[in-house]
Amino acid sequence: MSSISLQNISKSYAANMPKAVEQLSLEIADGEFLCLLGPSGCGKTTTLRMLAGLEHPTGGTISIGDKPIVSVDQGIYVPAEKRGLGLVFQSYALWPHMTVTQNIEFGLRLHKVARAEREATVARVMETLGIARYKDRYPNQLSGGQQQRVALARMLALNPGIILLDEPLSNLDAKLRLEMRAELKRIHKEVGATIVFVTHDQWEAMTLASKIAVMSEGELQQLGTPDDIYERPANRFVAEFVGNLPINIVGAGHGKAGDGPLEDWIAEYLGAIGAPDTVASVGIRPEAVAILRTQENTSGFPVRNASVVDVLPTGGNWIIELSVDGSKLFAITGSTPRLAPGDTVRIGFAPEDIHLFDSADERIDFTHSA
Amino acid sequence: MGSRYGSPSGTSASQMRENAGPVSWRYWIKVHASDPTALLALGLLVVFVYLIAAPILLLLGDAFQVHFADQARTGQAQGSFTTYYFERALFSPIAQDIFWEPLVNTATIAFGAILVSLVVGAPLGWLLSRTDLPGKRWYSTALIVPYMLPSWTFALAWSTLFRNRTTGGTPSWMESLGFAPPDWLAYGQLPITLILALHYTPFVILLFGNALRQFDSQLEDSARIMGAGRLHIARRIILPLMLPSLVSACTLIFAKCLGDFGVAYILGVPVGYDVLATSLFRAISTSQAGMSAVLAGTIVLLGVISVVIDMRLLRQATRFQTIGSKGSMNRVSPLGKWKPIASAWVLVVFLVSAVIPLLALVLTTVMHRPGVFTLENFTLDYWIGTGLGTTALRQGILLTPEFWRATTNTLWIVGSAALGAGLLGLLVGIAVVRSPIRIVGVALRQITFLPYLVPGIAFAAAYLSMFAVPRGPLPALYGTSIILVLAILADQMPFASRAGISAMMQLGKDPEDAARNVGAGWLKRLTAIVIPIQKGALVSGVLLPFISGIKGLSLVVVLAVPGTDLLTTYAIRLVDYGYTQASNAVVLMICVIAFVGTVGVQKLTKSNLSDGLGGK
Repeated sequence: MSSISLQNISKSYAANMPKAVEQLSLEIADGEFLCLLGPSGCGKTTTLRMLAGLEHPTGGTISIGDKPIVSVDQGIYVPAEKRGLGLVFQSYALWPHMTVTQNIEFGLRLHKVARAEREATVARVMETLGIARYKDRYPNQLSGGQQQRVALARMLALNPGIILLDEPLSNLDAKLRLEMRAELKRIHKEVGATIVFVTHDQWEAMTLASKIAVMSEGELQQLGTPDDIYERPANRFVAEFVGNLPINIVGAGHGKAGDGPLEDWIAEYLGAIGAPDTVASVGIRPEAVAILRTQENTSGFPVRNASVVDVLPTGGNWIIELSVDGSKLFAITGSTPRLAPGDTVRIGFAPEDIHLFDSADERIDFTHSA
Repeated sequence: MGSRYGSPSGTSASQMRENAGPVSWRYWIKVHASDPTALLALGLLVVFVYLIAAPILLLLGDAFQVHFADQARTGQAQGSFTTYYFERALFSPIAQDIFWEPLVNTATIAFGAILVSLVVGAPLGWLLSRTDLPGKRWYSTALIVPYMLPSWTFALAWSTLFRNRTTGGTPSWMESLGFAPPDWLAYGQLPITLILALHYTPFVILLFGNALRQFDSQLEDSARIMGAGRLHIARRIILPLMLPSLVSACTLIFAKCLGDFGVAYILGVPVGYDVLATSLFRAISTSQAGMSAVLAGTIVLLGVISVVIDMRLLRQATRFQTIGSKGSMNRVSPLGKWKPIASAWVLVVFLVSAVIPLLALVLTTVMHRPGVFTLENFTLDYWIGTGLGTTALRQGILLTPEFWRATTNTLWIVGSAALGAGLLGLLVGIAVVRSPIRIVGVALRQITFLPYLVPGIAFAAAYLSMFAVPRGPLPALYGTSIILVLAILADQMPFASRAGISAMMQLGKDPEDAARNVGAGWLKRLTAIVIPIQKGALVSGVLLPFISGIKGLSLVVVLAVPGTDLLTTYAIRLVDYGYTQASNAVVLMICVIAFVGTVGVQKLTKSNLSDGLGGK
C-alpha cells in the first residue's frame, strides 16, 4: 500500500515567521500522480521535503499506507533514511565523486543487495532510461538531461513504492522537457508507483498529473483533477494562477453603479442571468470572451462594444487586447482575427463560461437555467 | 504573492491548532536524534573550549593570582587575587627592563618594519600588477620567497654575515674579511627591523598588488576625462581606494612582529636587547607564571587591537563596490625609459631578501672559515664529516642522530597536528554550516578563530598554564610530544576551520540529502559523501598547517624539551651552543621542506599564496 495521508501538517521555521505550511490535509491514493502546484514560496517544496523526511513538521500526522511515519502528537518520527521513498532533486544532486554506475548502485550497496542482483538492477534501470553508454562517466561530464536521467535511474534502482519529484523538468530546455514528460508518464505506468511532484509550472502540472493540489501561502487552495482546477477553480487565487493567459477579473459592483463601464456591464449581465447577490467579482477566461461577427445579438445576454487596442500573434493563437471605454480586457482566438487596432467590435460571453466569486474570493457555484 | 485570498482552510482551522494536544517531547527527541550534527557541534565546542578557550582564560587568570613561589613576597595565599604582577611589571624597579623597554623596542621595531616594507613593497606591488616590468610573473613568485621561509632564517644569515666579537662563536664573514662590524650593525634594533621588514614585505606586495590589480581603470579614465592630472588622480582616486589594503597589510605585519620570537632571540638577546616576546620567553623559562601571564596578556591585547582594526577596515573596504566589479579593466602602464631602473630595483630587492641570505647560509655550511674563497677552505664536513675535532657534534649534521630525531619528531608531531587540524577544521565546517542550533555554530566559529588573536609565544604560555599540571582527563603534559601536537593543532585552527567552513558553504545540502534518501545514515553520509567530495579542501587543510607548523618557532620554543625537539627548536639549540654551521644546515633543511611544500600545495590546489595570507 503506497497511499499517503497528510493530516493537519504545519511547518514553521521560527516562531516569529509566518508558517511555511499551515494545517495541510491531503489524501493521495495508491498509484496516484499528484502535483503540488503553486507560486514560489507557497510551501509546496517544504511539503515534499517533509514527506521525504528532510524537514520535520511542527504539527500534524503523515501516514504511508495506514502506518504513521510522522506524528507530532504521538511522538512518531521515522528519519528520512528509513522511509524508503524515492526522491529526485531539482538540482539532481548526483554525487560528483562517483561515476554514473557508482551513483546508481550506492543505495543498493547500502542495502547489501547481492552483487549479481545489484548488477542486474543497475543494468535494467540504465536500459530503461537509455544511459548505459555513460555508465563510467562522472556527473560533470554529462549534460543536464543526462544528469536528470541518472538521477531518475538512481531513484528507480531502489524500486520505491512512492516517488517524490522536486521541479523535475524546470532545469531542462523545451525539447528535453517534452521528452522527459513522456518518460515520467511511462515510468508511472510501468512501475505503478505513487508519484508526488512539485512544480510552479501549470503546464507541467496539467499535462502530467492525475490530480493537482494548488497551494498558496502554505495553505491548500484546491485539490482536484486538472480539468476541475481549470474549469471549476475553488477560489479567485486558483482561477488567476491557473491558465496560460491571465483570467480577466471584473468586480461586480452590485447596486454600485458607476464603478466603471466594464463593471456596469457585468452588473447588468449578472442581473440578466439571475446570479445571486453575493457575487463580488467575476472571472472570464480570455478564450471565453467571444468577439461577435454579426450586428445582432443572438446570445440573448447583454453584449458590449469594445475597441481593439492591439493584436498579438503568438503562433497559432492571437491575443486581442480590448478596451471597454478605457477598461482593459483580454481575449484569445485560434483563428485569424482580421482585426486591427482601433477597430470596434461587439463582445459577449456565455453564462456557463464565467466564474463567480464572493467577497471572500470563494467560488459561487451557479448554473444558469435558461 | 500580492494579496491574501481566503481559502477552504481559513482562519477557523488555524485556531484549531492551539487545541492540538501537548507537544510531544518524544517527537522532538526523535527528530534531533535523526541528525546528530548538533551533537557534533556541541562535542567540538567542548573540545575547543578545552583546547583553546581554557588555556587562554587560565593564562589571563594567572596574571591576577598569587603563585606558589610568590606567597612570601606578596604575603598572600596561593591562588588569591593580586595585582602584584601588574605592579611588578609596570611600576617596580625592574619594570623598565622587563616591560617598558621591551614594549618600546617591540613598538619601534614593528613600526620600523611596517615603514620599510611599505616603502619597499608598495612600489613592487605596483610594478608587478600594473606595469610591463620584464619577468613580472616570475618575480611575483620569487619576491614571495622570504615569506615562505621562517623569519629567523634571515636572522641567522645576518648573524653569519655581520656578527662581531661582542658574542663568541664562529667569526662572521665580515670579521674574517678583516672588518669589525659595529654593534649597531651586528645586533639589535637595526637588523631586527630590517629582517622583519624584508620577511613581511610580501604582505604588502600581495595585498597592495591584488588591490591594484582589481582596481577598475575606468575610474582613472573618468577622472582623466574630467581633466585631472596624474598626480591628482593618484592622490585623490587611487590612494583612498587602496588605503584599506595598505592598512590591512600594516596591521598584519604589526600583529606578526608582536609574536615574532626567533629574530629578536638571535640578534637581540645576546646583547641584552629585549622585545616583549623574548622577555616573555625569559619569564617562562625562569618559571615566573605570573609575570609571563602579564607579558603574554599584553601581547594578546596588542594582537587583538590590531586584528580588530584590520577587521573594521576590511568591513569598510567592502563598501567600495567599484573594486573588482565586473566591467573592471586593468590597464598596464608602460615603464618606458624607467624600465632598466625598475628592473634593477626589483632585482636588488630579490637579491637582498632571498638570494644573498640563503647563499650565505649555504656557503657557511660548506666552508671552514667563512668568507674565504679558496679551494681548500671548502668542505662537506659540516654535512657528512666524521671525527671532527669539536667538543660535541663530532660528525656532520646528516650523520647526527639528534638531527634525524628532530626530523622524525617534526614530521610526526607537526604531521599529526596538521592532520588533526585539517580533519577537525572540516568537522567544524560541517558543524557550523549544518548545525540546526545556530548559536553553537557561531560560538564554534568564534572560538576556533581565537588563536588568531594570540601570537604564538603567548599561546605557548597559555598552553603551559593549562597543561603544565594535570587538567581534566589529561595528566601533566609538559615535556611530552602531546603538548606540542595539541598546541600546534589549536594554533592552526583559525586557518583550518575557516577552510572547512568555506568548503562546506560551497557544498549544497542536496548530495547529503540524496544519500539520506537512499538510506545512508549520518556516519555513512560523512564518510561516503561529504569527505570524498571535500577531498581537495581537506588536502590543503592538512598541508597548509603542516608547512606553517614546520617553520613555526615561537609557539614551540617554550614547549619543546630536548627529547621532543623539532627541527626549529633543534636549530635554536644549536645556535645557543654556537654551532653556527650545523644550525644553518638545519635551517636550510627547514627552508627546503617549507619551500617545496608551499610550491607543491600551490600547484596541487591551484591556489594563490595571497588567498591564504589572512590565515596564520
